[in-house]
Amino acid sequence: MMGDKKFLSKVFIAMVLAAVLVVAGCSSSDNASGDSDSGDGVTVDIFQFKVEFKEQFEELVAKYQEENPDVTINVQTVGGGNDYAASIKSQMSSGDEPDIFNVGGPTDIEEYRDYLSDLSDTAAAEAALEGTLNSVTEGDQILGLPYSQEGYGLIYNKAILEQAGINPDELTTFEALEEAVATLDSQKEDLGLEAVFALPAKELWVMGNHLANAYIAPEFENDITAAYEAETINFEYGDQMKRMLDLQSSYSVQPVLSLDYSQQVEQLFAQGKVAIIQQGNWIYPTLEQMDPEFAENNIGMIPMPVEGLEGHLPVGVPQYWVVNKNSSEEVQQAAKDFLDWMYTSDAGKEMVLNDFKFIPAYEGYDTAQISDPLSQVVYSYSEEGKTIGWTFMATPVGWNEDVLGVNMQRYLNGDIEWQEVLDTAKQEWEKSRQ
Amino acid sequence: MRNRSVSFWLFVTPTLLALALVVFVPFIYGFVFSFTDWNGLSANEFIGLANYVELFQDKEFLNSIWFTIKFAVASIVLVNVIGLGLALLVTQRMRSSNILRTVFFMPNLIGGLILGFIWQFIFVSAFDAVGSALGIEALQGWLSTTETGFWGLVILNVWQYAGYIMIIYIAYLESVPEELLEAAEIDGANSIQRFWNVKFPLVAPAFTISLFLTLSNAFKLYDQNLALTNGGPFNSTQMVAMEIYNTAFSESDMAYAQAKAVIFFILVAAVALTQVYYNKKREVDL
Repeated sequence: MMGDKKFLSKVFIAMVLAAVLVVAGCSSSDNASGDSDSGDGVTVDIFQFKVEFKEQFEELVAKYQEENPDVTINVQTVGGGNDYAASIKSQMSSGDEPDIFNVGGPTDIEEYRDYLSDLSDTAAAEAALEGTLNSVTEGDQILGLPYSQEGYGLIYNKAILEQAGINPDELTTFEALEEAVATLDSQKEDLGLEAVFALPAKELWVMGNHLANAYIAPEFENDITAAYEAETINFEYGDQMKRMLDLQSSYSVQPVLSLDYSQQVEQLFAQGKVAIIQQGNWIYPTLEQMDPEFAENNIGMIPMPVEGLEGHLPVGVPQYWVVNKNSSEEVQQAAKDFLDWMYTSDAGKEMVLNDFKFIPAYEGYDTAQISDPLSQVVYSYSEEGKTIGWTFMATPVGWNEDVLGVNMQRYLNGDIEWQEVLDTAKQEWEKSRQ
Repeated sequence: MRNRSVSFWLFVTPTLLALALVVFVPFIYGFVFSFTDWNGLSANEFIGLANYVELFQDKEFLNSIWFTIKFAVASIVLVNVIGLGLALLVTQRMRSSNILRTVFFMPNLIGGLILGFIWQFIFVSAFDAVGSALGIEALQGWLSTTETGFWGLVILNVWQYAGYIMIIYIAYLESVPEELLEAAEIDGANSIQRFWNVKFPLVAPAFTISLFLTLSNAFKLYDQNLALTNGGPFNSTQMVAMEIYNTAFSESDMAYAQAKAVIFFILVAAVALTQVYYNKKREVDL
């Protein structure tokens, strides 16, 4: 018995020691990763945001590693919105910093300013389309490289509009749009519609970011930097914002406050139960998966009407790639080389266009290859320069969703007047810009 | 117990170490950070109690506390009443009682997020379909108002936890000595009297445990909240845990969120300890 006990305690001592070693090992490996494993090549850690193209991106990385055997690239993907912000933050504060990561716009840039290295010497920065670098330029430094372009507007069901005798290209003004919507509404039963619109008022980003932006950006003359520096907001286009919101909500499937994105796109629009939805080109892969025929031939997109800016589509850069300044020189260079290769080499361009299905934010792409109809619309507006900036990347943190979006919900519920929505939003803006 | 040998500490140390690393140290860290302007990356300034002063004027935070308290009261009462009811049901001598136990316990095996999405579908689509088919207006438009969001959360929580709490009650109900019940029966007590005067006092320890579990669970609820309503409409069904998370990660106000979390901790600890103390006094020892 005594022997057993001794044996057991030895086992436990061993286990405790092992545990201590593991803990110690973890903390020391923190310092090692970030830096390069000099000798046999460089290791670049990428921490990226876009779940939708994870597999295709990893394929591209594998291809790059084949061509450059001395570079090892680790990709980590953490999905959307808050989750990415939360994970990148904890990665940074744990000291296990990635070498390449993503930021959204000026607000993120300010937060991570100490981590961002200058990318103005990259070929990709050179090739970036005009305007796409505005929100990441600081003096003569360029801090980020755009992922791609995205745009949103009113996406319509071609067949239904045709059946009702409506030409979507003529719906450039509020009057025309409202008339068309009334026409559709009166023929609801013949067209098999549940309602004309589906407004997913549950999704704060659809209202607070996208809808509102079409009527906020013009106030700042489409300049993201101006919005970022503005100390106040006057809602010069606030009446039009209300008009758009009222139009969508009163002709929407009810109740709007519990309607979400997947109901809007998958259950209602894709099934032909609503004629028009306010969304962006990112819904294409979902529609294609459900019904390729419908997605390819039966949808189109028009801008939301904005008086004074008719025929302008809100187009922006959803995310930027940035390179960590704290990584070693060698790793930073490898990271830049990789980004350059992705966006400016032939093989890279090919994959960006055909596998990622990105709307390129760079010159030198064969844009005839953009396959889906929504991306084509976005690209053609962007090419003509008829765009409205994405100011929600430059508003005070959380303002669009948690202040404006939430108060729009209150308004839709009949709790407050429209003026109160604007007043509260203005107050909060000023408070955080003091 | 007094003789704490080397092996005692060897057994305790790994757990203690792990607990200290993942609970105590972060807790103290967080407490310290709540007095600074920490944004998650760097803390520049020690700002004293400013965060705490601000949060007592923060309507959103106070609303979420109030909402959580209402939710906790409703779901604690319902979970325990239904849990005890189910336990009484399956301790009757019935042939199907084993199957019923399994069935009642099952919801507890499903993760909160998945449950939330399933119930979202039930509330939004299934309720609506039944409501419009039968013309019952009360079943339509669920989760689009604060009230339906509230009851949706309560229903979801009760459905998930009643079975779990049932197991605890079963254990205590089955340990009630036969002879006491028999003696009561001989004395002429009917089944209701037997329940209230014999079983109920003896099951009291189960109340202590169950109330504590349901209480802390109701206060800390996050994933069901996220999946079912995500705080909507207009953040009116946002519980404290979610409010804190959003302050930290969508508004990027880490130190402020940390201060809220400290207040939240004090609140939950105070309620839970009072409750345990009070219930302990009422327990009957055999």
